[in-house]
Amino acid sequence: MADKMLVTVSPHLHKKDETIQRAMKDVLIALTPAAVWALVVFGFNVVYILAVSCITAALSEVVMRKIMRRKPTLRDYSAMVTAVLFAFLLPPTTPLWVVAIGAFLAVGVGKELFGGLGKNIFNPAIFARVLLWFSPLAVYTTKFVKPFFWKASGFFTPIATSIHEGAVGRVVYKTLAGNPVADVTTAATPLSLLKSGKWLPDVVSGPTPVGATWVTSGGKPNFWSLFLGAKSGCIGEVCILALLIGGAYLLWRGTIDWRIPAGIIGTFFLLTLVTWHHPVYNLLSGGLFLGSFFMATDWVTSPVTRRGKWIFAVGIGATVFILRFWSLRPEGVALAIFLWNIGTLVIDRYIAVPKFGEVGAKVFNRLPVLPEPAPEPAKKQA
Amino acid sequence: MSGKATYKTFKGGIHPPYNKELASGKAIRPAPVPAEVFIPLQQHIGAPNEPLVNPGDRVELGQKVGSSEAFVSAPVHASVAGTVKEIAEVTGFTGAKVKCVVITPDAEQPEFARKDRDITALSDQEIRDIAREAGLVGMGGAAFPTHVKLTPPKDKPVDTVIINACECEPFLTCDHRVMLERPHDLVQGLKLLMRAVNAKRGIIGIEANKMDAVDAVRGAAKGEAGIEVEILEVKYPEGAEKMLIFALTGRKVPPGKLPSEVGCLVQNVGTAVALYEACAWGKPLYERVLTVTGQGIKEPANLLARVGTPISTLIEACGGFVGQPGKVIMGGPMTGWAQPDTSAPVVKGTSGIVVLTPELVDVGTEEECVRCGKCTDVCPMFLLPNFIVQAVKKGQWDRAEMWGALDCFECGCCSFTCPAYIPHVDYVRKAKAEIAALKRR
Repeated sequence: MADKMLVTVSPHLHKKDETIQRAMKDVLIALTPAAVWALVVFGFNVVYILAVSCITAALSEVVMRKIMRRKPTLRDYSAMVTAVLFAFLLPPTTPLWVVAIGAFLAVGVGKELFGGLGKNIFNPAIFARVLLWFSPLAVYTTKFVKPFFWKASGFFTPIATSIHEGAVGRVVYKTLAGNPVADVTTAATPLSLLKSGKWLPDVVSGPTPVGATWVTSGGKPNFWSLFLGAKSGCIGEVCILALLIGGAYLLWRGTIDWRIPAGIIGTFFLLTLVTWHHPVYNLLSGGLFLGSFFMATDWVTSPVTRRGKWIFAVGIGATVFILRFWSLRPEGVALAIFLWNIGTLVIDRYIAVPKFGEVGAKVFNRLPVLPEPAPEPAKKQA
Repeated sequence: MSGKATYKTFKGGIHPPYNKELASGKAIRPAPVPAEVFIPLQQHIGAPNEPLVNPGDRVELGQKVGSSEAFVSAPVHASVAGTVKEIAEVTGFTGAKVKCVVITPDAEQPEFARKDRDITALSDQEIRDIAREAGLVGMGGAAFPTHVKLTPPKDKPVDTVIINACECEPFLTCDHRVMLERPHDLVQGLKLLMRAVNAKRGIIGIEANKMDAVDAVRGAAKGEAGIEVEILEVKYPEGAEKMLIFALTGRKVPPGKLPSEVGCLVQNVGTAVALYEACAWGKPLYERVLTVTGQGIKEPANLLARVGTPISTLIEACGGFVGQPGKVIMGGPMTGWAQPDTSAPVVKGTSGIVVLTPELVDVGTEEECVRCGKCTDVCPMFLLPNFIVQAVKKGQWDRAEMWGALDCFECGCCSFTCPAYIPHVDYVRKAKAEIAALKRR
C-alpha cells in the first residue's frame, strides 16, 4: 500500500518555524528601527553604505562558497545580518570602497574562510571592523558628523568622503551624477569628548524632524539626546531607544538570551558607578547597546551554556570598561567582543555544567579516560 | 514560558504540539483478531525467550509460548486460541529481525477464563512471581521486566511507588482512557506494587491536560491510605523516570543510577493495571490498550489490541489512511520508531501507532551547528547535545562522554528545538555504542 513512507530516527516532530533562517530574519527585523533612525539622523547617505555592504557581502558569500565548493547558503540571511551589522559599526562618512572591502573581510574572510556559518570564531562584522581599525584604512573610518548635518546640504546629498574619496572617484561621480556633494565638517562623538575632558555640548537646537525641540542642556550632559540618538557616532549605535525596541523584539522571539545584554550592560554600569566614571553618560554613549544586544549575542561566537554566557557577558562588560578608560581609543565595545569571542572557545571547553542529579559542584570539565581504540581505526564517521 | 507555574515540574523540556484531542474522547474498544498473529519471543530488555511450542501445536488463549531461565527476562503468551503455524524470523518494529511464534487463530475466539483470587492476601514474593509468570514488562515503551524492578537491592529500600500517568508523548491517549475507564483497577494495581516493595507511599502523577482523569482516579483512591494523586505541568518529557521522580518528590536520581537509589519505583499506568489483572484474574499480559491516531488516520481510536497483531490490521480497524501517509510511527512521535511498512507486530511495549500526514513531517536538512544553545536549554538532563554531536563527528569518544552522551535518555527535546535540524539522538546512540565497545575491552 503505502510505498513512500519516510523512515528517520526519533523524534518525529520539530518545533514549528524554528530555523536558522527565521532567526536571521528576526535579527534583520530587529535592526530596522535603528536603521530608520540612522536615515533620519545621518541622511540618505546611510542607504548607500547599507546597500554597498549588503551587495558586497552577498557576492562574497556566493563567490567564496563557489570557490570552496560548498553548497550555497545565501537563503539563510546570515550574510545580510552581517552586512547590516558591519555597516552599523561604521561612521556615516565612510568611503563606499572601504565599506566594500570591509564587507568582504566580514563575510568572505571572517565567516567563509573560517568554514562558514557555525565554524567562525569571530563575529564576522566585529572581525572586519577590528581588522579595519588596525589597518591603514583606519583613517577612513574615524570621521564622525553632527546629527542632522544634512539640513544644511539636503537629505539626499551624498557626503563627499563617502562617495569619492580620491581623484578618480571624484571625476567618475561628477561625470555620472553631476550632483553636488556635501563637504561635512567632522564632529566629536560623546565618548571622544569625554576622553578630552568635555561633555557632549548642546548638539542640536531648533526643531527636530518630529516637531518638538530637543532638550538642550547648557553645559551639562544632555541625556535625552544621548538616549534618543541626537548625537554623532556610528550609523547604527546612536539611538538607544531604537536598539532597545529591537532587542526587546529579539528577547520576545527567544532569538537571543537576556543574560548576555544584562551581563554586559550591568557589569559596565556597575563598574562606572563604583569608580564614578559618569555612569549614565557612559552607558548611553558609544556602541554598548548595539554590541550587547546584537553583536555579543551572536549564537556562533558566544558560549553555549547559561553559565558560560554569564562569564562571557561579565567579561565583556569589564573589558569595555578597561578599554574605554585606559586605552588610547574612546570606544572599546567591538574590541572587547572580539577578545571574548576567543574566550568563548575556552569557556565552552572548560566551564562545566553539572548534569541533572550530579552531586558536588563541578567547576571544570575533565576528559574521562577511555581505553585506546583498536589499532585498525574504527573511525569511519563523516 | 509556562502559562501556569503552579503545577509540579522539572527544569528544561519542551512544549510540542500535543494533538491529544484526536483520540482522547474515544472509548477503548477491542481490536479485530488478525488473520495471523506474530508473537515476538523477545519483547523486553533482557535475555530472549526460547519457544515452548512447535509448529502444528494447538495453543489456548493466554498459554505460555516462550520463556527463559534468565532472571532478567519475561515470558510471552499466546494472544489467541489457535494453531502454531511456524517459528519464523519477522521484521520487528525496530527494523531488526525477531524470532516470532506465528499463530493462526481459530475463527471463534473464547473469552479469557478468569481465575479469581483474593489479592489482599498476596505476599510480596507471590506478587513478584505472578508478575513474572504473567510476562509483565514496563508498558510505557522501554519494556523492562516488571518483576526485576520489583526486586530492588536489599540496601536500597523503596519507600515511594510512583505511577507514571503523565502520558507526555504527544498524540497518545491510551493511559488517559485507561484512567478514565478503569481507575479502580489502577489504584488496586498501585496497592499491589506498594505491597511488592513494601512502600508506604504511592503517588499517581497526572499532567494537567487530563483533569477528568485526575477526578476519576481521585474518586477511586478516596479512602486508600498513602495514595496521592498529583497534578503535573504539561511539558515534555514530564514522564521520563528521573524527571517525574524529581517533580513529585524533589529527589534527584544521580547520573548512571536507578530510581531505587533515591527510594523510588516508577511504573506505567498500563503496567499497574496489568499487574492487577494478573493478580486478581490470573490473566497474563497478552493484550494491551494502545492509541491509533494522527491526522493521517480516518478514525483515531483507542484499541485493546492483542500482542502480535500486525499494524496493518489496526489501521484498517480505524478506517485506514487519509490519503498518502507521511510517516507511520510505532510509539509516540518523540521517541517512537518510524516504520517502512505496516507489517510489524504490536508488542507489549507498543503504546500507540501515530500516522503523520506528509505536511506534518518536518525533517528539514541537517545544517552546521550554529551553537545557539537551544538544545542545552531544553535538555532535562542538562547535557550538551551539540557538543556530543561535534565529538561524534570527529570520533572523539572521550569528549562525547564528557558532554554526557551516556546520561542521555533520548527524549529528543534537542532535535525538536534545533534550528539546524541536527538529529542529536542519532549521534548519541552512535556514541553510546562506541563508548560501550571501548569500555568492554
